[in-house]
Amino acid sequence: MSNIEKVREFIVENFLFGDDTSLKNDTSFLEEHIIDSTGMLEVITFLEETFDIKINDDELLPENLDSLDNIDAFLKRKQSA
Amino acid sequence: MNTNQPVFVHEFLEHSALRFPDKTALIFQKERITYREIDNRANALARKLIELGIKTGDRVLLLLENRPEYVISYYGIMKAGAVAVPVNTDVKPPGLQWLVKDTGAETLVSSSAFYRVFHDFNFADAGIKNIIIFNPKPGQKDFGVAVTTWEDAISSPDESSPNVTVDKDSTASIIYTSGSTGNPKGVALSHQNIVSNTQAICASLELTDADIQMVVLPFFYVMGKSLLNSHFALGATVVINNTFLYPATVLKQMAQEQVTGFSGVPSTYAFLLHRSPLASYRDQLPHLRYCSQAGGHMAKTLKIALRRALPEHTKIFIMYGATEASARLTLLDPQFYESKMDSVGKPIAGTTISIVDEDGKPVPAGVEGELVAQGPGIMSGYWNNPEATAAVLDDIGYHTGDLGYMDTDGFIYISGRKDNQIKVGGNRINTQEIEDLLLETGLVVEAFITGVPDTMLGNKLVAIAVAANKETDTQEILSACARIMPKYKIPQTLLLVSSLPKKITGKIDKNSCLELISEHSNNKQNNNKGSEHEQH
Repeated sequence: MSNIEKVREFIVENFLFGDDTSLKNDTSFLEEHIIDSTGMLEVITFLEETFDIKINDDELLPENLDSLDNIDAFLKRKQSA
Repeated sequence: MNTNQPVFVHEFLEHSALRFPDKTALIFQKERITYREIDNRANALARKLIELGIKTGDRVLLLLENRPEYVISYYGIMKAGAVAVPVNTDVKPPGLQWLVKDTGAETLVSSSAFYRVFHDFNFADAGIKNIIIFNPKPGQKDFGVAVTTWEDAISSPDESSPNVTVDKDSTASIIYTSGSTGNPKGVALSHQNIVSNTQAICASLELTDADIQMVVLPFFYVMGKSLLNSHFALGATVVINNTFLYPATVLKQMAQEQVTGFSGVPSTYAFLLHRSPLASYRDQLPHLRYCSQAGGHMAKTLKIALRRALPEHTKIFIMYGATEASARLTLLDPQFYESKMDSVGKPIAGTTISIVDEDGKPVPAGVEGELVAQGPGIMSGYWNNPEATAAVLDDIGYHTGDLGYMDTDGFIYISGRKDNQIKVGGNRINTQEIEDLLLETGLVVEAFITGVPDTMLGNKLVAIAVAANKETDTQEILSACARIMPKYKIPQTLLLVSSLPKKITGKIDKNSCLELISEHSNNKQNNNKGSEHEQH
């Protein structure tokens, strides 16, 4: 399973209650009200544990985390660093 | 009407537009909008509403995110003599249907951001006759009723106020809040209620026209609305930032815009303290004069951490309030932040609070009783609901349902809720309503809901339920919940059991249910398996 598929599965299961019809790879979690601030903490924990990375507080930015595409690109940058 | 002292809520905007026409009133993304521009557009919108048939006292639903169009609509609706009814942006179709019915509103102001709610919504059947829509997406939704685009709605060549006459005691806004009978109750607030409370808040926080407030709380929520009104009352500047999910963006803008005030509920501060670069921004916030916290009890550990994290010059105001009180009831003077840390302070100007026993008699200092408030900010009643009104308003004031005590220095402490309402995040939740909604899914035959302490949310909702059939799992039930209730009302933990503990009378044994939850919590620490699901 690719990174993006793992994240998608997590988001769908935890925030969309199994319904993935509205989630495209470029869907904004913020604009579509998919994740709130408490949920974002769960996403961060999931990313850190699943991909064995440390996300710094100043990396909590829309360009890193606000869509599956953005997370995918962010993970690639983190894992290659 | 333009006297020195505002009488009507929309006069906050009008007076500031006269005093500071070219001053920036709102900052939203890359937009900077002056008081004159907002006032002119609100006047134009009011004229359009009147043209559409809106009459004095008519209710107008307002379903918009925090953005300039919300502000223009809020004041524009009141300039037309109508009643602004803000709608929770997490509303689902059944909730919207209920609001339309309860308010009798025939007009809705909204945007294409809510097409997800409108998808299967029949406006004509619900009773809506007019929709004003911001940023419409042609072809995506046939509303089946008259539609006016936002551009048309604010395009009147006459940008002067329509000068509709209303009484200061007439209803300005109805704000819906969870009620003890299950359905939300509409808190009817008059112009006088909101104006008086706003002025008391301005005085308490020593706000001036030089203040710049960062707003991350929604305007549909009474605390968010009070931030708007208190800053517009003085001609100050409001920065709208809807990206608190990514707190670094908020902190960066606070530094850039030289923000002087920030306000949040406990979970706002928990998030800022747990996962944000607040510490590294500490030296970049020299203008941050104060932070205020309301919306429920904030844990002492969070208060201590917040004091350490904020710049030394930043004052922290702890506040307590209620939608029924227009917004705020008490404030803890920052000089007592450490020495009276568990207190919500003393009543704000014009408000009195007494602590009473079950017979309504005042109790001595240190003795727990119910907080009863009096003052010009207290609502006239719940919309269309005399029974609910009579249950909380009497000749001694508004019975808050909050239990607490006063110390010998007059400081008030809250110890709990009298009924079964609990605060989750900034939202007051009625457990009975959630139990009813769970049963409405058709997948659950009985349910018990309670709140358990949570460091982030204050409380989190835990449900114990009996599924309608053994094939039903927690995921299926929560999916069904998500279709009919906003996210904040969905239990974070759902335990499925074969039956709920009962008393001999057949009533659900709440104490045994609580023991089950406690048992589950203990088991979970040892073994993370079981018939349960957790979502956040």
